[in-house]
Amino acid sequence: MKEQTEQKTKIAAFVCNWCSYAGADAAGTSRLQYDDSVWIVRFPCTGRIDPLFIIKAFEQGVDGVLVSGCHPGDCHYATGNLFARRRFTIFRTLMLFLGLDERRLQFSWVSAAEGAKWASVVNTVAGAVKELNGEPFTWAIPMPLRGAIGASDGEAVQTLRENIKAIEQTHRFTFGDQMIETREAAMTEELRLRAKQLLEAGEVNAVLGYANGTLPRTAIPLFALSLEATDQLVWNRHCRTNLAVYLARPLVRKLGKLAVVVKPCDAKAVLGLLQEHQVQRENVHLIGMACTGVEERGAIAPKCLSCTQRMPDLFDTKIGTAQEQPATRGNPIDETVRLLDNASPQERWNFWQEEFSRCIRCYACRAVCPFCYCETCITDKHRPQWITPSARSEGTMAWNIVRAAHLAGRCVGCNECARVCPANIRLDLLNRKIALEIKNEFDYEAGQSVESAPPLVAYRPDDSQEFIR
Amino acid sequence: MARIGVFVCHCGENIARTVDVARVTEEARSLSGVVYACDYRYVCSDPGQKLIRNAIREKGLTGIVVAACSPLMHETTFRRASAAAGLNPYRVEMANIREHCSWVHQDREAATAKASEVIRILVEKVKRARPLQPIRVPITRRALLIGGGIAGIQAAVDLANSGYKVTLVERTPTIGGNMARLSETFPTLDCSQCILTPRMVEVSRHPNVELLTYSEVEEVTGYVGNFKVKILRKPRYVREDLCTACNDCVPVCPVSVPNEFDRGLSWRKAIYIPFPQAVPAVYTLDEKTCLGLNPLACEKCAQACLPKAIDFDQKPQIIERDVGSIIVATGYELFPAEQAREYGWGVHADVVDGLEFERMLSASGPTNGEVRRPSDKRVPKNVVFIQCVGSRDPARGVPYCSKICCMYTAKHALLYKHKVHDGNATVFYMDIRAGGKGFEEFVQRVMEEERVLYIRGRVSRVIPLNGKMLVQGVDTLSNQKVEIRADLVVLATAMISSPQNGLASKLRIVADEQGFFKEAHPKLRPVETLTSGVFLAGAAQAPKDILETVAQASGAASKTLELFSQGEIEREPTVAHVNEATCVACFDCRRVCPFGAIEAKEIRDKQGRLIRTVACVNEAVCSGCGACTVACRNHSMDLLGYSDEEIFSEVLALA
Repeated sequence: MKEQTEQKTKIAAFVCNWCSYAGADAAGTSRLQYDDSVWIVRFPCTGRIDPLFIIKAFEQGVDGVLVSGCHPGDCHYATGNLFARRRFTIFRTLMLFLGLDERRLQFSWVSAAEGAKWASVVNTVAGAVKELNGEPFTWAIPMPLRGAIGASDGEAVQTLRENIKAIEQTHRFTFGDQMIETREAAMTEELRLRAKQLLEAGEVNAVLGYANGTLPRTAIPLFALSLEATDQLVWNRHCRTNLAVYLARPLVRKLGKLAVVVKPCDAKAVLGLLQEHQVQRENVHLIGMACTGVEERGAIAPKCLSCTQRMPDLFDTKIGTAQEQPATRGNPIDETVRLLDNASPQERWNFWQEEFSRCIRCYACRAVCPFCYCETCITDKHRPQWITPSARSEGTMAWNIVRAAHLAGRCVGCNECARVCPANIRLDLLNRKIALEIKNEFDYEAGQSVESAPPLVAYRPDDSQEFIR
Repeated sequence: MARIGVFVCHCGENIARTVDVARVTEEARSLSGVVYACDYRYVCSDPGQKLIRNAIREKGLTGIVVAACSPLMHETTFRRASAAAGLNPYRVEMANIREHCSWVHQDREAATAKASEVIRILVEKVKRARPLQPIRVPITRRALLIGGGIAGIQAAVDLANSGYKVTLVERTPTIGGNMARLSETFPTLDCSQCILTPRMVEVSRHPNVELLTYSEVEEVTGYVGNFKVKILRKPRYVREDLCTACNDCVPVCPVSVPNEFDRGLSWRKAIYIPFPQAVPAVYTLDEKTCLGLNPLACEKCAQACLPKAIDFDQKPQIIERDVGSIIVATGYELFPAEQAREYGWGVHADVVDGLEFERMLSASGPTNGEVRRPSDKRVPKNVVFIQCVGSRDPARGVPYCSKICCMYTAKHALLYKHKVHDGNATVFYMDIRAGGKGFEEFVQRVMEEERVLYIRGRVSRVIPLNGKMLVQGVDTLSNQKVEIRADLVVLATAMISSPQNGLASKLRIVADEQGFFKEAHPKLRPVETLTSGVFLAGAAQAPKDILETVAQASGAASKTLELFSQGEIEREPTVAHVNEATCVACFDCRRVCPFGAIEAKEIRDKQGRLIRTVACVNEAVCSGCGACTVACRNHSMDLLGYSDEEIFSEVLALA
């Protein structure tokens, strides 16, 4: 019995109660015969279908997932399907970027009257998934990875990696600026002075900035609580950490009003935190730094190459003057995203499996992300246990997908996650791919305005839905 | 430990023909947690339900799965049966092995295997189902009526007569709405004012009705049974308690402006009463046209007013009311006829719209009921009526049929013929839609007895020619061009929604593309909206005639009475709830909630210091869609009845 079901194609259909479930009923009432490999799970609304359920279904070994709900305008709850449409637009983009074959994850609108449509959707989806049956599909490749990816596939991934490396190499620039150290010293002085003023005037209770690290060419975060401590503040190209990450922490909140040193990308993160009610504007004093980029591994950080912003959008105090803008020196991150886009799904799938297989689940990516401010993360939840906590392959897969999905429309591209990853997983590519899609589909960029609703908790009636049957 | 019972239905042969019911039952019995399984010919029948009740009692079941038809068909049946035996009804699941299995698959082996799996999946779900209790919410027994036309008046009278308090809010200085403008009503030719004004007086004198004219709804918060409404009382600069409606202020007022009530066919002063029978019988000073409200420059009306009712110092005032239900009866407007340029309304004085013609026919109108054309006040001998001006014209944004125009045009033609015996009336029409009691007979009578000429076809344009209007059209039945020299052209303009000034979002109800408010279900819940406690009456929902409006108003009143007759409201307990320990108050849940059910809750310590803010679900408002659960990244939000754990276990059981 068990063996039988294992051989059989299995497709999970997540449907809303009011339209598609009833549509499937209508197919039954009309005695329309259709493929028997679809299992229906009933939800109140497509708006209730968390992508995590889809991940979980794939983890369980289903061959495909179909999500179906009411046509726009017919939602029993007026707008549930419209939010779902946006969420799945992004989730689908992410999954396809990871290399999932698009036939395995499909979407449709089926109304309560469309019994015939239901039958035909099921047949089409089941037919498409069965076409794939010859191809190997393992949701999460067990570690160690070697041997699991076929030799020819491994070669393809190898080529991909070499091309990525080439992009990195062509975009390796060092700070050639002779004046940089003088300027950094001057800005450090100005910063210390301003910090002293703020503390003395009682405007803030602490100044959050950077101090020199214990190793050369590093900087560490510093909470300057006293006037003396301000003398340790520094500003230089090694101040990489996005300090916005501290603002939403309960202990930091207890400090009351805080001055924080921000680069342009950090200020965008603060803006996001304001938008998500994690920080009160009156509780932060932003010290905006004139920024010419930070250094990573002895070169200008990739994220800084395409950035032309020299002053933050949002600040209360300005330190330094905006330098002449260097022309962008290419965009290695976008180029790499494009490279992966142009690879075959199977190549992408293998590439990411290889990437994720290195993940040791240290959660450094989570710890440095300003938007991972949940005190209890979804990975820490046990009832139910969405994501297995140890570095087992399926949990690792789920974690990396969920992390990227949860940042959709929020990530400001500070790329701290990728920088701190001890396994060098290219998390920045996932974030960037989603950001590009959101810009393209919803004309939204994170970190631009406090008032606007984040794109995944908003909708437009005319959002595109070409991917929905 | 879960003790689950599984009941497999044969549904006669409907299931048993394709699914091996005995084998399915046998396999269900072996599932972990299942302590009882049986099959029966018709589980929904009385003996079948008895089987369930007995098993629950005898085996001490903590949950059941009925493998039968669709839950949309019989979930309520089995929930009731379980409740009768003492099992919480939310611990009942239905495995749909008929519509989703036996009816759509023919292979007996595959269908049997699938049925078994569907049962296994739902057994896993029901094991984790929590017992839920219906939510009870107290109610305030006062209704708010928005709009004082016939719909609002009818609903107010119905409710007030049933003994409940009503607040009636009307935007203009008088109640009565569009119906007060009409001459006579089809098909019985009752005088509109004669049947309406007694109702207007009744509603204004009723001890249970609070009448707030010249007022608008500013803000609505709260939820069914417990709305809080802020109402803006616009200053009318005349004290309602002192004004005796003596009219002494009017002759002295130096300002004349077109009278909106007569659609601009007559004049009124800056201080005015829209029409003599207006309710309340109080004058209103129009602050836009008064010469010197601020600073005081004229003051002639105040000097003429003996009771000293004129008060230039009145300010806009906000008053608050607690109400349990809200009936929206904001009515309609006419399609702006100037948009139909080919007919020249607004350019040629002798082209009028339907309501203008109503005023010309009305005994209380600007011509005292004589039909005289606006340009030279002569009695028109040739009148052309053009139907479907705007209506059924998607290019002009009105794709729908306005429903009443065929009838009122017929009535117009008839009344015209009665008043001008030697006149000729011609009607251009697309189709005659006269569905309604006595409607078709009425139209036939107009055509045959009153000798009104009906031409099937459209008018391409109306142009002035030697003091007449040359109407150029086509008769599509004979395929000939038609030209008529008319003295007066009457346009049957479409009904469009009245401007709602954000009312839909204030009430959290939905307006369609045309601005009409959307009902909860077009067939079965036509007077309710998706926001519970908010009901619709009249043309605010869709074009309607008076009869339908009154019927719907009484329907909305009876829905309110249904609500008020309960001590408390009982609501489905399948609502969202927050895990306050992990909520980080990003309020993305609030952004996606279509019902406005999510509020901020402050958690304070014993000294009253704020510790943190979290999201909080108002169970009386939540409708259980679950959008918030997905917006919540760390799943601090869960949905009872479709909880993470329940669905999760279903997904785990998939393979």
